[in-house]
Amino acid sequence: MRTHQLSWSATHGWRAPGANYASADLVLYFGLRSALADGARYQELRAMFGNAHVVGCSTGGQIRNDDVDDEIAAVALRFDRTRIALACEAVPAPSHSRACGEAIGRRLAADDLAGIFVLSDGLNVNGSELVAGVTGVIGPTIPLTGGLAGDGAKFEETLVGADGAPKRGQVAAVGFYGSSIRIGHGSAGGWDEFGPRRRITRSTGNVLYELDGKPALDLYERYLGEEDARGLPGTALLFPLLIRDPVQPDQDVVRTVLAIDRTARSMTFAGDVPEGWAAQLMRGNFDRLAAGAAVAARQARSGLGSACDQNGLAVLVSCIGRRLLMGQRIVDEVEAAGAQLGAKIPRLGFYSYGEISPHGAAGVCQLHNQTMTVTAFTEAA
Amino acid sequence: MHKLFARQLAKATTPSGEVDLDELGRLIGSAYDQADHDRRRTDRSISLMIEELDTLNRGLEKLVEVRTKALRDSETQLKAQNLRFEAAVNNMPQALLMFDRDRQLVICNERYRLMYGLSREGVQPGCTLRGLLEQRKATGTFPGDIDQYLTEMFTALDAGTTMAKLVELPDGRIIAVLNHPMSDGGWVATHDDITDRQRAEQRIAHMARHDALTDLPNRLLFRERLAETLAAVSRGSKLAVLFLDLDHFKDVNDTLGHPMGDELLKMVAARLRHCVRDVDTVARVGGDEFAIIQTGIEEPLDTATLARRIGEAVRAPYDLAGHAVVVDTSIGIAMSPHDGTEPDGLLKAADMALYGAKADGRGTYRFFEAAMDMRMKARRELEIALRRALAAGQFELHYQPLVNVDSKRITGCEALLRWNHPERGMIPPAEFIPVAEEIGLIVPLGEWVLRKACLDAASWPDDIKVAVNLSPIQVTNQNLVPIVVSALAAAGLPARRLEVEITESVLMHNTETNTATLHRLRELGVHISMDDFGTGYSSLSYLRKFPFDKIKIDRSFISGLPGDNESIAIVRAVAGLAANLNMTATAEGVETAEQLETIRALGCVEMQGYLFSRPVPPSQIMLLLEPQRRKLAKSA
Repeated sequence: MRTHQLSWSATHGWRAPGANYASADLVLYFGLRSALADGARYQELRAMFGNAHVVGCSTGGQIRNDDVDDEIAAVALRFDRTRIALACEAVPAPSHSRACGEAIGRRLAADDLAGIFVLSDGLNVNGSELVAGVTGVIGPTIPLTGGLAGDGAKFEETLVGADGAPKRGQVAAVGFYGSSIRIGHGSAGGWDEFGPRRRITRSTGNVLYELDGKPALDLYERYLGEEDARGLPGTALLFPLLIRDPVQPDQDVVRTVLAIDRTARSMTFAGDVPEGWAAQLMRGNFDRLAAGAAVAARQARSGLGSACDQNGLAVLVSCIGRRLLMGQRIVDEVEAAGAQLGAKIPRLGFYSYGEISPHGAAGVCQLHNQTMTVTAFTEAA
Repeated sequence: MHKLFARQLAKATTPSGEVDLDELGRLIGSAYDQADHDRRRTDRSISLMIEELDTLNRGLEKLVEVRTKALRDSETQLKAQNLRFEAAVNNMPQALLMFDRDRQLVICNERYRLMYGLSREGVQPGCTLRGLLEQRKATGTFPGDIDQYLTEMFTALDAGTTMAKLVELPDGRIIAVLNHPMSDGGWVATHDDITDRQRAEQRIAHMARHDALTDLPNRLLFRERLAETLAAVSRGSKLAVLFLDLDHFKDVNDTLGHPMGDELLKMVAARLRHCVRDVDTVARVGGDEFAIIQTGIEEPLDTATLARRIGEAVRAPYDLAGHAVVVDTSIGIAMSPHDGTEPDGLLKAADMALYGAKADGRGTYRFFEAAMDMRMKARRELEIALRRALAAGQFELHYQPLVNVDSKRITGCEALLRWNHPERGMIPPAEFIPVAEEIGLIVPLGEWVLRKACLDAASWPDDIKVAVNLSPIQVTNQNLVPIVVSALAAAGLPARRLEVEITESVLMHNTETNTATLHRLRELGVHISMDDFGTGYSSLSYLRKFPFDKIKIDRSFISGLPGDNESIAIVRAVAGLAANLNMTATAEGVETAEQLETIRALGCVEMQGYLFSRPVPPSQIMLLLEPQRRKLAKSA
């Protein structure tokens, strides 16, 4: 397989090293909502890659190899022995998430399906339900990776495009088929649990009302202080919430806040926050977050097996919270991941509102938050 | 160079290799700001976390404090509970012991120590039951064999059963001991001093079967003994049941009072006991009724001998607080197996025999005869017939005139009741009146007589009285006065024309109320006669109790006239007394002209008897009265 990276900035337009664009099978592109919303960049890519499926989404920043910035990042892929298929479904409201996932699963399911990479609306969706919908159809053993689109720290609107101008309320998924494709994946957080263990005493689906009988929003506002509280809901990502089923305490999940309701004193998360589960705040230490990214990359590389030396691509989906916290030091994590993947696997990625990857311990595909997830693609020789 | 600075420098370097210092400054300043922000955020979150953990810690401390206090409180409660338990255990009326599975003493209350006179030091938790029993042996409060007792007890406990035992101590106390196994292998023992309870129960059992006054067996025990003895009789030997009562015992009560009557009964009981052998039973089965079971009889003569001996013993005079009292006894005898082999049948036979003895004039004994049974049956039949007779209109009244001995004029007529039995014909009053009195029929029958007599008399001449006999039972009946008033009113007969005759027995019992009733009749204008004077106690004191209008001298005195001097003396005395008390003296049963002459000479004013007329039906009495009526009409 061959890859060609491109980038776009308002100042310079497209910068695209390499040629033979027309033979690409798939183009992935990521950019800020402001840069994608008018659909012009899609049209330009469409024009450049006439035979490829062009799939992209809005983000909270782009990863291009060892750099993190706000320019549009894109990659064109050409597979030697792998067939791909694209599915796109609308998700008009979070309550349709499972049905949407099931529809995608049905569209892409096939005997030689090797994996699915999905990009979903980041605000109008219950990511847990979406993932459950897809895996419910294709089964738990086929890797499902990807992420939820982002909107910087604004949390207003996210866009997803699949062979069309990016739009809100869409889910796009690429299915990879055949015996040659190798998909390695890894996911890690690196956040530190801190403060008392709490209990979710009132919640509905992905809406959290109370922790230990007190409004959850009060707790966040108190911890953020006036300075950061003004930036809610984005700043809530500075204190991710670790939740844990008391029945299966080793399968903990980290949740990202999508929205808050200052009147109801509630917080809406990217996945379910079930009543009765334990909850604990987390905080980030730059070095340990970077080390987490390295863990995820190492897992992905090892998932490629013997094909890890082939030319390939790694798609890094990292949580917007990590970028918010680390500021300029965010480069530390992409460097750490890059060091693990090696020179033959270039990196492209984005800062998201949620990461999708099989769970490291259980192997079951889940929605993650606040993590770095790495999906590496190569083709066996 | 710091990695971050190297990046910032690279970012600020233009493609031409020049360093954009403004851009570099911005990047560096921004990194500092981010670092400051992150430090503030970190400080803040850590201090908040400390605060939160501290609050949680305080909460936990508070919780520990509350729990500790609760623990202390429950400890105090436990202590109080223990004290209460101890107080309860030590104040229970039973001795209580508890042993554990190792057969060692766990709990022992004070009562146990005191019950068996053991020292405090000797009874301590940890000691064994054997140790306790040995101590009791030493204090003389364990009567049995220790090994045997323990073997018996542990056998029961090992089988999971309770051992219950009544232990009689050498000092006479009776202790109920319960050894009850517990689920943990130990056992609980209670010792209850039931001496008083046992005695009370024995006393009650005795009282239930004995007569309180004489301490003789009562009817219940007598019957049990009879049943037991009869069971033996059926294996060959004979027995006799003797029923006896004291003749006229009631009079003793009436004249000397009940305490004296009771005293007499006790003395009779003692004499009866004396008459029989120890194996025989003497029981008091009623007020003045006694019963005896005689066993070991060879022939009826043995029983006759006993009956005679009893008769003599009872008849011997008694000294009741200075009063010499003589009573007699009638005895009925039934023999088994001859007269029956069942208690009830035998008792009934003895009762009938007693009835027969009394009918024979009392003071004697009678063996049961089958004829008695017949007579009893006949009497039952008479009772039944009598109850029907009134409604069936089988009664009628005959009248016998009372005549003035001087003028030979009829002054009145005595109504005499006749029962015209559909099969047996006329039955004399002597036969059925006692039965009517006994079964309570005398009251309605007497009322019928009163009403009928008044009605009949209403058609007689105005100067002719009608005399009606009243039974003592009628006089005692509260309704007599209203009945008399009603009878007079219904017949339209003036009260002065009614004469009621009573016997002295009316004044012997319920004297006060009966006297009051007679006075009320008297106030109505009814005349009151003393009938059959001389037959009963003939006490002149009765004449003082009520101012009678007339004394009727019993026919037994008249029949002896004119020859019998004693009769002459009595008739003269009574007639004289009557004259002095302003009463009319009437001679009953005058049958001859000589008798008439004699009684006139002796002072009697009035006569009644066959000489003038026997009792006749109402229609005939009208014929007798006709001449007088005409004379009356003429003089009017």
